[in-house]
Amino acid sequence: MKAPPRVGPLVLTAPAVAGLLVFFIAPLLAFAVYSFLTGSLYDVKAPLTVENYKEVFETDINRTLGRNSLVVGLLAALFSVLIALPMAYWLRYSAGRWRGLVLFLIVASFLASYLVRIFAWRTMLGRNGAINRGLESIGLIDEPLDFLLYNRFAVTVALVHIFLPYVVLVLYAGLAPLQPSYLETAQDLGAGRVQRWRRVVLPLVAAPAVSAFLFVFVLSAADYVTPQLLGGTSGGMLGVQVQVAFIGTGDFAYGAALAFAMLAGFVVCYALIALGLRLTKLDKVRFAT
Amino acid sequence: MTGTRRSPITGAFTVAGLVFLWAPLLLVFLFSFHSTGSLTFPFEGFSTRWYDEVFSSGVIRSAAENSLIVATSTALLTLLLGTLAAYGLTRSSSRLRGPLSLLFFLPITLPGLFVGVALLVAFTRVEFSLSLLTVTIAHLVYVFPFFFLVARAALERLDPALEETAADLGASRWTVFRRVTLPQVWPVLVGAACLAFALSFDEFVITFFVIGPDSTLPMYIWSSLRRTIDPSINAISSLLLAFTMLLFVVTFLLTVWSERRRRGRSLAEDPLVLTGPREGTA
Repeated sequence: MKAPPRVGPLVLTAPAVAGLLVFFIAPLLAFAVYSFLTGSLYDVKAPLTVENYKEVFETDINRTLGRNSLVVGLLAALFSVLIALPMAYWLRYSAGRWRGLVLFLIVASFLASYLVRIFAWRTMLGRNGAINRGLESIGLIDEPLDFLLYNRFAVTVALVHIFLPYVVLVLYAGLAPLQPSYLETAQDLGAGRVQRWRRVVLPLVAAPAVSAFLFVFVLSAADYVTPQLLGGTSGGMLGVQVQVAFIGTGDFAYGAALAFAMLAGFVVCYALIALGLRLTKLDKVRFAT
Repeated sequence: MTGTRRSPITGAFTVAGLVFLWAPLLLVFLFSFHSTGSLTFPFEGFSTRWYDEVFSSGVIRSAAENSLIVATSTALLTLLLGTLAAYGLTRSSSRLRGPLSLLFFLPITLPGLFVGVALLVAFTRVEFSLSLLTVTIAHLVYVFPFFFLVARAALERLDPALEETAADLGASRWTVFRRVTLPQVWPVLVGAACLAFALSFDEFVITFFVIGPDSTLPMYIWSSLRRTIDPSINAISSLLLAFTMLLFVVTFLLTVWSERRRRGRSLAEDPLVLTGPREGTA
């Protein structure tokens, strides 16, 4: 016997739905329309045009900054996943009684303030920062290293620091269905360390790892705070241009076009990666629990 | 219970990862007690002067008050709207469930930059002046998905038989919610509200665009990071860290406690447990 669908309780979602439609969906739609209007100071006017997008793609600085965004986003995502993978593996299979404490430390660092973490890297990487002083005191360098701060490297390091805890947690959850006994079975059947990783662990974490990669990539590439505080003159990124358009120059139409061009870029990346997963059938890997 | 596997390589990665995550934060904490304004080694002695400076600064105090107002309003409103939404969604079987879940989840997927500028455009368009109210609205959009995901998971884990039994015995929907559902999930909901508070208290990326002339603690930190380094930033940062950790511990304890209670209850198969005295409800 099939019960009729219960609709009544859905009424309770109405305030939240209304709130999100008015304060999230509608502003985004308005924002999309803005990108096709003619800009004037802190406002827009008719007629509809694609001039803003033309300007976005024809400005040289956007090309440089776009490349920076892409490189920093990709590197931050790549390193987050590469560092998080062994950490998640250790937490799942080797942590023993340390698991609780290490998980606590990881989640706690995740909740640490975003701006504080960026600031902390300034004190770490600066000319007189902890890393330079540390290397000097153990005699590895005589002169402070200047390439640590105010460039793409510093931005990438801070972004990895910001997103690493999240990626560890996602991958740790992704490993949950893979019982330790499966690894033992693989071992008993003669699979070495490399084979166990390649044939058992990696196919299972591929899907969560890719989704975490995308998340870090998008949030890093669209960041406008870290590049301003740690990027110096060479580490600028596209997000900063969007911020300047809205807060500095007041060119709303151009800013909207720039932001939507970025969004379109993210959607393309997302589609390509989803397609890649499907072609390799990695999105179908499941383990019975 | 399976034994743990030895894995020295991943163990080394984990140690390195923890050092990477915590060394910069501990450094900030250490230098918040530095007796001089220098942010570099050698460490010349302990002093609480930067904390004194923070606590005696009117600007910081008013920024912190604003942050408290915004975060408290955000947490309470999210608690209300999010609980309604999660309860309504989990207790209905309408075909709209899928699209609505997507809508509730969507704000997480978008970088804060886009949410911030879109709201700025919308508020400017309708000539709604920027204030702490617009910040609170923006924060609601930002924290809602986090709260919703936690609340929905907690509500889905409940044994539906309890609510059905209560309804069969003649309890109204409101009574079922108040006497059966809420006593089981409130610790998780309060924990999620604490998370919402913490997220809002620390939010900068969206706030920057919709704040207008007011200030919040992250806005204050941002403006002093843009100027020359003011050593009291270490003290503010440390206080902020301690505060977030405290919220996290509260959330964590509430969740653990609620999970223990839930396990204890499901062990009691006797349906009479429903009519017995209920512990822990005021």
